[in-house]
This record gives sequence, structure tokens and C-alpha cells, in this order.
Amino acid sequence: MASILVIAEVQNGKVRESSYELVSFARRIAKAQGSEVRSLVAGKGASAAAEELAKKGGGEVYLAEHDLLAHYSVDAFGKAVRAAVAAASPGILLFSHTPIGWDLAPRIAAALDGAFVSDCFNVEESGKLVFLRRVFNGKLDARFVPSASPVVATFQPGATSPFEGALDGKVTPLQVAISPQDLRAKFIEVRTAQKQGVDLSKAEIIVSGGRGLGAPEKFPEVIQPLADALGGAMGASRPVVDAGWLPHAYQVGSSGQTVTPKLYIAAGISGAIQHLVGMKNSNFIVAINKDADAPIFEVANLGVVGDLFEIVPALTKAVNQAKGKA
Amino acid sequence: MKIMVCLKQVPHQDARLDVRPDGGWIQEDNIKFEINSYDTYALEEALRIKDAGGAEVVVVSIGPERVTQSLRTALGMGADRAVHVKDPEADASDPLGVAKILAAIAKAENPELILMGLMADDGNSAAVPPMLAELLGFASTTSVMKVTRSNGSLQAERELEGGALEVVELTGPSVLSVQTGINQVRYASLKGIMAAKRKPIDTKSVADLGLAGKVGAAAAKIKIEKIYPPPKGKGAEILTGSTDEIVNKLVGKIKELGLL
Ligand SMILES: Cc1cc2nc3c(=O)[nH]c(=O)nc-3n(C[C@H](O)[C@H](O)[C@H](O)COP(=O)(O)OP(=O)(O)OC[C@H]3O[C@@H](n4cnc5c(N)ncnc54)[C@H](O)[C@@H]3O)c2cc1C
Repeated sequence: MASILVIAEVQNGKVRESSYELVSFARRIAKAQGSEVRSLVAGKGASAAAEELAKKGGGEVYLAEHDLLAHYSVDAFGKAVRAAVAAASPGILLFSHTPIGWDLAPRIAAALDGAFVSDCFNVEESGKLVFLRRVFNGKLDARFVPSASPVVATFQPGATSPFEGALDGKVTPLQVAISPQDLRAKFIEVRTAQKQGVDLSKAEIIVSGGRGLGAPEKFPEVIQPLADALGGAMGASRPVVDAGWLPHAYQVGSSGQTVTPKLYIAAGISGAIQHLVGMKNSNFIVAINKDADAPIFEVANLGVVGDLFEIVPALTKAVNQAKGKA
Repeated sequence: MKIMVCLKQVPHQDARLDVRPDGGWIQEDNIKFEINSYDTYALEEALRIKDAGGAEVVVVSIGPERVTQSLRTALGMGADRAVHVKDPEADASDPLGVAKILAAIAKAENPELILMGLMADDGNSAAVPPMLAELLGFASTTSVMKVTRSNGSLQAERELEGGALEVVELTGPSVLSVQTGINQVRYASLKGIMAAKRKPIDTKSVADLGLAGKVGAAAAKIKIEKIYPPPKGKGAEILTGSTDEIVNKLVGKIKELGLL
């Protein structure tokens, strides 16, 4: 029977939530196509994770165990995926769009000479397969239709709910031959991010500025005064940090901090997904942007379509007045 | 050592994005183009290696005539030579098609290191660098925030979620995709721009690369059915009125939230 292969990820001994999201997508497609879902767990000492996936995700779970799979390496994990592909001959392979997924999935697609689509947020499975994803950093949506097999797709973490429902899965050991010479990109160590003083995760109010600020001095001139007036902290989007305007500790988003303040004010930030994942669970979001179509307005509670250089200083003044500090 | 840097020319980050009537892509007439932001960091990283110990930096781009402008910019910044794949047959290649074109050039150029951006600001696929590595049999890693070279080995720090860094050691010829912020990108100096005028841009067709019929729209294994503005959800309540009125409403809301 045709199959869909889910490439699961294990973190700290557990199957990642995003892998169960892949199972959700895979089951939907499998139901429409009459195919079955299989998955791969690769690692060292990963049998408990594989059992968990078999129980909670169902289907046949290939378990590739090897000393050289103890840490992620594109070469070693590539071998495990190729072994699972040989065993399952999948028509579709699903990865999460994570640092592992975007490192590994395109190599697999090229090796299989297949169709590749990345960072999808949904899939339409009835009739022809259509993969939905964003282009232009979230400003436009796109429908991608594969015309070759296999299809290799990566999905945005959080794009759907994780699969729930106990099933009758089973774990099948998968032999993978890997030798140390195979590892041309070799894991050395992981260094965790340092928070250098600014811990935005505790702030009740955050005022963040983006590339729309245009120059480094605008942060102390425009953003910091509003943060101060509100007794909050200052945050930023990635381009601000990339340009060296603020240290990394201020960055909100997938490669920065995840924050959930009572009030998040975003000024001159377009709302790319990597920023949104870091702040969309804030209690109340205000967006100030001159582009009425900016995606940030989709997650905001209140929006102002206008020039931040007019709105933010006026708001700072009004807040100070309200506090009797005019 | 020879370093190949792959550059994509994309619509300017602040360009108006209007969808073409057929929905196939955006309207490209009358908008400004620039080098993909991620790729500028890849080029800068190559130029730093060149500045530090000498390297030949070859920039490669696929696209129509307008791409010459981006290649001239790269040469002005310090790249030594450029290869321009200028052929309508290459247009609308899927990422694997692009990787096949770049692989053909890499085979002719034989670089030790290929530097590219993590993804492109238009397609956002983040697909071509690992694909290129696979086609060439090179080592690869992605989202690189630091590159260090010491006697034959290459160390890269790749970015993980939350800003953690993973140190990876690469052996042999490698493809690295770099993340924005890895360095501060230089501007082309006037002197550089003048010198660039004498630097060669080698033009290639798809047939020159032995890829006739193997890349481009017809060979693409995945196609864009259409692009469209994201459907609007409930969205934010948009405040209207004068600046004073807007600001008063905001202050009212902040009070209501109990934060003032
Ligand atoms: C792996 C990966 C990880 C990433 N991690 C992060 C992350 O952690 N955090 C993050 O933020 N990004 C991250 N990014 C980058 C992300 O994709 C976007 O590029 C980034 O969020 C865009 O930042 P921005 O909104 O400030 O800039 P832009 O998208 O350029 O938006 C600027 C906005 O300012 C508006 N504007 C300009 N002038 C004014 C004005 N005078 N008044 C009002 N509005 C104005 C414009 O209309 C525009 O909407 C990551 C990307 C990748 C690939």
C-alpha cells in the first residue's frame, strides 16, 4: 500500500509536538488517498520515544538506533531517512520546518529527485494535493501543486493541532549502516542563548520596534520613551538586531525570546511568522504600521494604520499626561 | 581557495507586491529589485575570508538582464568574477531546477566552499543550498551565524530555535547557508564600483550547462497554482480619527487593561 512517511523529531527523549502535528496532516492525506501512515524515529536510546509515537500516533514506527545518531547530523540522519524510504517506498515524506527539517528535507528531496515544498501551513487533500504556504515573508499566500513523486514537504510547527487518539501502532527496528567517515557535518556542541540582562519573558508590557524604525537612534528616541512611560520593556524584531542596533537579548521571535506580556505594542513590524510565534500569545496586542495589509494586523487586537513617528511620540505624551507627569 | 557565492535578485523589501492577473506571481514591471538580503550576508562572509587570507570569490546568479545590476554590485563590493545564467529557459525553475543549474556551474568552477543565503525573501523555500550540496556530494549545514576555518577544517555555528547555537565541524568541500546578522554587510565603495566595470561577467545559457529540457517551468516538479493576498481573518479593530483621537482611545484601552 502507498504510504506517507512522517520524519519525527525527538528532543530531550520525547517526540516533539510538531511531529504529532505532522501525524495529523499525514492522517488527513492518508484518509483521502487510502494510503497508510508510517513514521521514523532516529536516535540513540530512542526506543521509548518510538513506543510513545506508536501508541499516540499509530501506524508502523521505524526505529533507527545508532551511536552516531546520538546527535543530529544531516549525513547520519539522512542515512536513516534513506533506509526508511527503502523500507516504506513512501509517496510523501513529511518533516517539520525546524532547524533539523530545513537542513535535512531538501537534501532528501534532491537525493530522491522528488517534488519539494517547504514551510507549509496547510494541505488540501481532497482531489489533487495542494500545499499552502506563505511567500514574501508572510505578505502573500501561495498554493503549490506537486507533479512528481515522491513529494517531500516541511510543515510549520504549530500549523495544526497535534494528533490525538490512542492507536494500535507498532515499532519496527530499522538497520542503518553509518560509519564515522559518513559524518561530513559533525555535531560538536550546543551553546544556549545568553540573556545578557534583558529578560523580556517577565515584562508585563513590551514595546517593540522593527525595521520600520529605519535607524538605531530611533530606539532611544521613540521606542524606549513609550516603554518607560508605561513602565515596560523594549523589544525588537530580528532585522534590528541583525543591523546591530540592539543586542540579541531584545529580539522577540523564533530565534529570540518568546513573550506573553499583558500588553505588546509592535511598531514598524510587518508580522513575519518568525516574529509572530514569539509574541502572538500576548494578552493584548497593539500594532502600529503604515501598511494596512501588514500581516501583524491579523494577530493584533487593536491596530493603527499610520506613521509610527507620529503615533508613538503622541502616545508617549498622552500616557505621561494620564499619569500626571506631563 | 575558491569560494562560490550564489546570489538571487528579488523584489526590493519595500516594493509594492501586486499579484499578476493570472495569479502566477507578482507584477514585476516598475518595481525595484535588490540582492536577496540573506545572500548579501553570504557574500560579505566570503569577502571577509578573502580579506583575511586570500580567496577568489565567484558570484553566480540566475535571471534576466536586470540581474547584471546585482552582479555589478557584488563585484563592486569585492567579488572577483561573476557568472550570469541568462536564459528564459531557466525561468520558473523549482528549487531543484535551480540547484541543478548551480551544480553544473559548481562542477565547472570547482570551489572549495559555496556560501548562500538561508532562504530568499521572495520564495522563502530555504531549499536550494542543501539540494546543491546533495547534487555535488558536498558537506552542508544551514542557518550559519559564524564560520571559522583552521587547518583544513571548517567550523560553523548554526542557529537553533530560541537563539541557541550548534557547533558543527565540516570536512571537505562544503555548502553553507548563512543566516542574517552573521556579519555587518559592507557597501560597495566608489573605487570598488569603478574597478567592477573591468571585472568579467560570464554569461551562460541552460544549453551551455548541458541542462536543456531538464530545468525551467516545464521540468519543475512542483508548480505555483496561484498566489494571493492572505485571506483576512477577524483581524485587529483599526482605530481611526485624528492622531489625538487615536491616542486617546489607546490610552483608554490601556487603562481598561488595568495597566495605567
Ligand atoms: C530561521 C529564521 C528565524 C527568524 N527569527 C526571527 C525572530 O526571532 N524574530 C523576528 O522578528 N524575525 C525573525 N526572522 C526574520 C523574519 O522572517 C522577518 O524578516 C522579520 O521579522 C521582519 O522584521 P520587521 O517586521 O521588523 O521588518 P519588515 O518585514 O521589513 O517590516 C517593516 C515594517 O515597518 C513598516 N513601516 C515602515 N516605516 C514605517 C513607519 N514610519 N510607520 C509605521 N510603519 C512603518 C512597514 O510597513 C513594514 O510592515 C527569522 C527568519 C528566519 C528565516
